[in-house]
Amino acid sequence: MDDRLTPDHPHTTSAQPAPGAATSQVARPAGGPDLVISDLVIAYSSGGYEVRPIDGLDLRVESGQLVLLLGASGCGKTTLLSAMASILSPTAGSIHMGDVEITGLRGRELVDYRRHKVGVVFQSFNLVPSLTASENVQVPLRTAGVAGRQARSRAEELLRRVDLTDRLHHRPGDLSGGQAQRVAIARALAHDPQLVLADEPTAHLDYIQVDGVLRLLRQLAAPGRIVVVATHDERLLPLADRVVELTPRAPEASRPPQQLTLHPGEVLFSQGDPGDLVYVVNHGAVDIVRRRIDGSEEQLAQLGPGRYFGELAPLFGLRRSASARASTHSTVTGYSLVDFRALHTHPADSTSTHPA
Amino acid sequence: MWLISLRDLQWRRRRFVIAVIATGLVFGMSLLMAGTEFTLYEDGRRIVRSFGADAWVVDEGTSGPFTTASPIPADAARSVAQAPGVEAADPVVISRSTIERETPQDVNIIGYLPGSFVAAPPSSGRGLQEPGEAIADVALGVDLGTTISVGGHDLQVVGLADQVTWYFGTPTLFVPLPDAQTITFRGQPLAMGVATLGVPESLPDGLRGLDNSQVVRDLERPLKSSTETIALLNLLLWIVATGIVGSMVYLSALERARDFAVFKATGATNRSLLAGLLLQTAVLTAASAVVAVVVAWLLVPRFPFAVQIPAGVYLRLAVIVTAVGVLASLAGLRQAVKVQPALAFGGQ
Repeated sequence: MDDRLTPDHPHTTSAQPAPGAATSQVARPAGGPDLVISDLVIAYSSGGYEVRPIDGLDLRVESGQLVLLLGASGCGKTTLLSAMASILSPTAGSIHMGDVEITGLRGRELVDYRRHKVGVVFQSFNLVPSLTASENVQVPLRTAGVAGRQARSRAEELLRRVDLTDRLHHRPGDLSGGQAQRVAIARALAHDPQLVLADEPTAHLDYIQVDGVLRLLRQLAAPGRIVVVATHDERLLPLADRVVELTPRAPEASRPPQQLTLHPGEVLFSQGDPGDLVYVVNHGAVDIVRRRIDGSEEQLAQLGPGRYFGELAPLFGLRRSASARASTHSTVTGYSLVDFRALHTHPADSTSTHPA
Repeated sequence: MWLISLRDLQWRRRRFVIAVIATGLVFGMSLLMAGTEFTLYEDGRRIVRSFGADAWVVDEGTSGPFTTASPIPADAARSVAQAPGVEAADPVVISRSTIERETPQDVNIIGYLPGSFVAAPPSSGRGLQEPGEAIADVALGVDLGTTISVGGHDLQVVGLADQVTWYFGTPTLFVPLPDAQTITFRGQPLAMGVATLGVPESLPDGLRGLDNSQVVRDLERPLKSSTETIALLNLLLWIVATGIVGSMVYLSALERARDFAVFKATGATNRSLLAGLLLQTAVLTAASAVVAVVVAWLLVPRFPFAVQIPAGVYLRLAVIVTAVGVLASLAGLRQAVKVQPALAFGGQ
């Protein structure tokens, strides 16, 4: 089922129950809290311009599910993970883990959440090179004040679970990518958290190593725990209970061109919108403007008849990097990517344009 | 966090060892300079004490017997001895000359009357009995019975004295008053001052009395520029040490930015990170202090004079090392605090 939340929002897909989901070996007791994201907006400044990788995201994940945040680089996967880990404060909206509003945590509660409620598997493993595998797993335990012997025992137990009993005293430099990733997973599980976040867990692994890590991640998603995996790797799709596509997909199919009439000042599309059509100006003029972080606008171009714009977003699966607004009474025609390609192979007088 | 900090030092052991050696050398030099400064002052205090005098009498208008250029008649001691409060008064000549050797050697000359209360017993040999004799500082390296020529005047060494150098380890020669007058005043019956047992309540016109502390201050005055130079060099050395320790800790903090971000993302507080960095600094500076003590211990015998490093100087080093460590780690600590946990999410 493909259920698009809103025209501007990422869409989610409920996948078939994944293999291994029912045979979890790293299980938690049932009855954990759900993850609820409401109208989440995350905006930041990039080169003085406002970027909104997450704009009005709503999402509900039930305990025991494995969710994939799927999308290309820069689409906001890691940003969203950071917000779930309470490392990044969103611009608006909320994230709840059960009754706890993660986005509102401060001081001691924030430290407690990071220590006990969430475990993160970072991209590139992010293991401390001077520490052994066991010591790396002990870091969050010791940070939380767990005594040395107890921390060692817990680390050994976790490393045994990820099948690294023979690598306890190896430093990250002596481990393969897959082994390092498993150490990172063991570290994330140190406090048996309700929420496990994994950022591009397969990015640095070969296909043999990927197999072991994926099995492990699948096993983690058991009642009482939610696993959220951010990735651009579509091989992970069969693993997921739920898929959240953060990169807007432009329709590949041909569809009739849309002729639109715009009044002066009327906005054709806004910065941050998903991009589906490529537009050609027939008559009048269209301003391409980019919003700065301070709320002001910068005009990038004014396009007259015969000029086209908006091809990059549907072509590369990006959001609109600028807004298009009629400067005068104008008419434009919107083409699907397929039709525009066909049109462009026989260019009459169209010329390329601008970043939108 | 202490385990992580120690493991990090172990991980960067080559850099750690280099920093410890460099800082240890700097601290060692600082120790030696502090010892030199102490020795300069202590030599003066000891030589003044060695006279056993309660007070001193010098020409009015001069600041002390060790620096005066205005001698008084030696027989002024007789009138001083008559002053109320004085039990005994003996003239002394304090001057500088050279022993004629292949390379002339500077010596301090102290002349007094044999049998006077100012005559300190030698460490070996016997005391002065008659003109033409001398008690030589062991630092001169002469044996008992040797004849030495001082300013063209021959003297036979009858005794040896230890720890009687002053002015940067210049050795001292104790000679009978007439010999000192021959060397210093071409035989004129003059003295730099009069040492007294008991404190004179009044003095003849043209003379002034000084207590031992005034004499010590007068003796130390010419050293002031030297000791100020030493203090300045010491300060520079501490700055260098701060720079070495600071750059080590700062570089470590820079290189560990990703680690710090991971620690913060997993719930580590700034306080625990700072404690870890301070521990690294403490280990680094403590190890440097040990190296410094060894360096100083090895180099002291190679100095041209007997540098003494008293316990107080070591204690001061400990305080300075701590201050240097805290100061040096500030930049690193700031770096650690600045690290955002979001950095942990970045790729390589």
